[in-house]
Amino acid sequence: MLIAAQPAWGTLTALVLFILASMWIGVLANRATREGSFMKGFFLGNRGLGSWALALTATVQSGGTFMGYPSLVYTHGWAVVLWIAGYMVVPITGFGILGKRLAQISRRCGAITMPDLFRERFASPALGLLASLFILFYMSFMMVAQFKAGALVMKIAWVGSDSWSEDQNVGRYRITEAGLTRLAGNSVPTNVVDALSPLQDKVYASETQFAEEVRGELSKLKPAPSKEQAAVWVHRIAVTSELPDWPYIIGLLIFTVSVVGYTLIGGFLAAVWTDLFQSVMMWFGVVIFLVLALHSVSLLQQKEAAAGNNPAVAQMNTLEFASRRAIEKTSPDFAFGPGYDGRHEGRAFLPASLAFSFFWIWVFAGLGSPAGIVRIMACRSTVNIRRSIYLLGLYNAFIYIPLALISICGRVLIADLPVGKTDDVIPMLAMKVTSELPVGGFVSGLILAAPFGAVMATVSCYLVVIASGLVRDVYQRFIRPLASSRELERLSYGVMTAIGVIAVVTNLHPVDYLQAIVVFSGTGAAATFAVPMLMLVFWRRATVPGMVASLLCGAGTMLGAYYLGGVLGWGSPLVGEATSFRPYFLLGLDPLLWSLAASGLAGVGVSLLTRTCDEVLLSKYFDPQPADAPVRDEGVAEIPA
Amino acid sequence: MPTDAPAAAPRREDPVLKSARREALIVFATWILALAYTIGYCGRYGYGRKLEELRYVYGFPDWIFWGIVVPWGVCVVFSWIFASVLMTDEDLGEDPPGTEANPTALADQQIQDPGAC
Repeated sequence: MLIAAQPAWGTLTALVLFILASMWIGVLANRATREGSFMKGFFLGNRGLGSWALALTATVQSGGTFMGYPSLVYTHGWAVVLWIAGYMVVPITGFGILGKRLAQISRRCGAITMPDLFRERFASPALGLLASLFILFYMSFMMVAQFKAGALVMKIAWVGSDSWSEDQNVGRYRITEAGLTRLAGNSVPTNVVDALSPLQDKVYASETQFAEEVRGELSKLKPAPSKEQAAVWVHRIAVTSELPDWPYIIGLLIFTVSVVGYTLIGGFLAAVWTDLFQSVMMWFGVVIFLVLALHSVSLLQQKEAAAGNNPAVAQMNTLEFASRRAIEKTSPDFAFGPGYDGRHEGRAFLPASLAFSFFWIWVFAGLGSPAGIVRIMACRSTVNIRRSIYLLGLYNAFIYIPLALISICGRVLIADLPVGKTDDVIPMLAMKVTSELPVGGFVSGLILAAPFGAVMATVSCYLVVIASGLVRDVYQRFIRPLASSRELERLSYGVMTAIGVIAVVTNLHPVDYLQAIVVFSGTGAAATFAVPMLMLVFWRRATVPGMVASLLCGAGTMLGAYYLGGVLGWGSPLVGEATSFRPYFLLGLDPLLWSLAASGLAGVGVSLLTRTCDEVLLSKYFDPQPADAPVRDEGVAEIPA
Repeated sequence: MPTDAPAAAPRREDPVLKSARREALIVFATWILALAYTIGYCGRYGYGRKLEELRYVYGFPDWIFWGIVVPWGVCVVFSWIFASVLMTDEDLGEDPPGTEANPTALADQQIQDPGAC
């Protein structure tokens, strides 16, 4: 039985210490926010974020990226570095474009949340509500993915790497009768379901083996399904046949309780402070990890050089050695675009058109990220914004490139993980490279604290944004404007707890491919908010109908592309990541590009066709204001609908 | 075009708006340059090559090193130049008094009773 495996005590201890430290920070943050009003303190930290806090917490450094990106490098090879390459400009674009003006406007109108900003800048409650609904929608998706990542780290710490990964007696898949019935109800044709009956009740330890046998049965069908169709069915069958995974579920519970706990205690400031603490941990984690991974590979290299009496191998750069071995284990595709295809199903992970798209995605996901925007609103001064730019520049370079190298080493060091289970590569590798060290378990715990921290940080931040969206932008604004501070406080806590419960329930059956969800919610928010934010900040002529059109067209194009690709199955499922949660790539480009174009055209066109905003309102945000006489809202509330 | 044309005297713009717009243009230009170079280079040398032609630079495949690692380094340096030389500091102003973002004694009363706002 899987749960009986010996927990990795050292790793668990390190993680528990880490959780306790985060809780303690939450308590400190709680004390700090007690000055001033509950709302501004809890949701905005009294606009006091310094450079480090801003730099290391305001952009898209989610746990999804921390776990999902290495998993992609492991699966597809060097091409994934091109996939992430857009991050080289994210520090400048993230703070240099919107930063200053956003901080200024949010002060002029006293905005605490992003919907506040929309509502006040245009004096339109409806626009504010629309913005909050979109934020809630995208953030909820993002949260789901994060919880899975957190649970995975806890699980692997719990069961240890050896007992878990290499134990072939552990059943992971079994086709049951109930599963077959569910499949039949899940738009899989009856003849396909019938074809599976010979496999019923057999237990499989690995996904590869399972997928192969299923594919074998499917190929006996007449007429035989196409490669694409078979890939879709195999995936659905695998999802319905997975067995419950207790260590994962326990990990999920521990993770949820701790992260919801400290966010409840300290609010926004707790989210930011723990985020900062965790980002620093993450940096150290990655550096130690890189050294250990390269060291493990070099041991292998020396062994091989000695055995084969091969001086060329001995003198080779360790990274080059790792790269060459990884290519030998896979194929030459591992070294080039569009990436290695581990399932041998003809997948092109990153065609050049998608590489081009991703250079847009990371940049605009940063611009349109509600969590990031709130942090910029909370910054202390422009000095902090400037410093954050180069701090983040350095930080990103030292996170993303080393992580890629670590994952390349991972391909050499870890036995081939089944495709679809590669999200575990970072935790498993951490256990592996520290297994020989004297206090290895503890060190691996410190390394694992990095992804764990990244996930906790993201989740706590989103908890705050979602709770503020529901409590402030919906409840206080539209349901009970007279609610007392105490009532809002209690409601905020209730909402966060409820989100935790929902997250656990939705994650009991984990989503596959974290990164696909991260990309969906990131690009969705970008498609919806990037152009409207630019209009809000820079364009005097922008109008309420223009903003609404821009929001709706951006979001509509993105959701439409996911509907066409994910639901109607347009386009080849063999482009991009292996997941049924995928968009339709018109002309090979990511829907974000089309969404930005649609959003921009609609926003500009409709704005120009409608009446300009009230001059008094515009003057408040676009003309110089005497520093000692901030304009109040009176008299600017009307706006032509 | 139904727009409220500015009065005869040119409108004085907020200084933060002016500098922010200038900086945003510089940033967009940087992004486009980085995109053109990296995607151009990697598209040319990262796709459809034979393994025998692949060289390694400091352990990286050559196209990764010249197409991504080097420009990444350039971007880090540029972000430092941008932040310390090109970007100006401005006064961001204060939250308006009497709102939740800047509650005073008077404002606390207003929060309890927004009808007073």
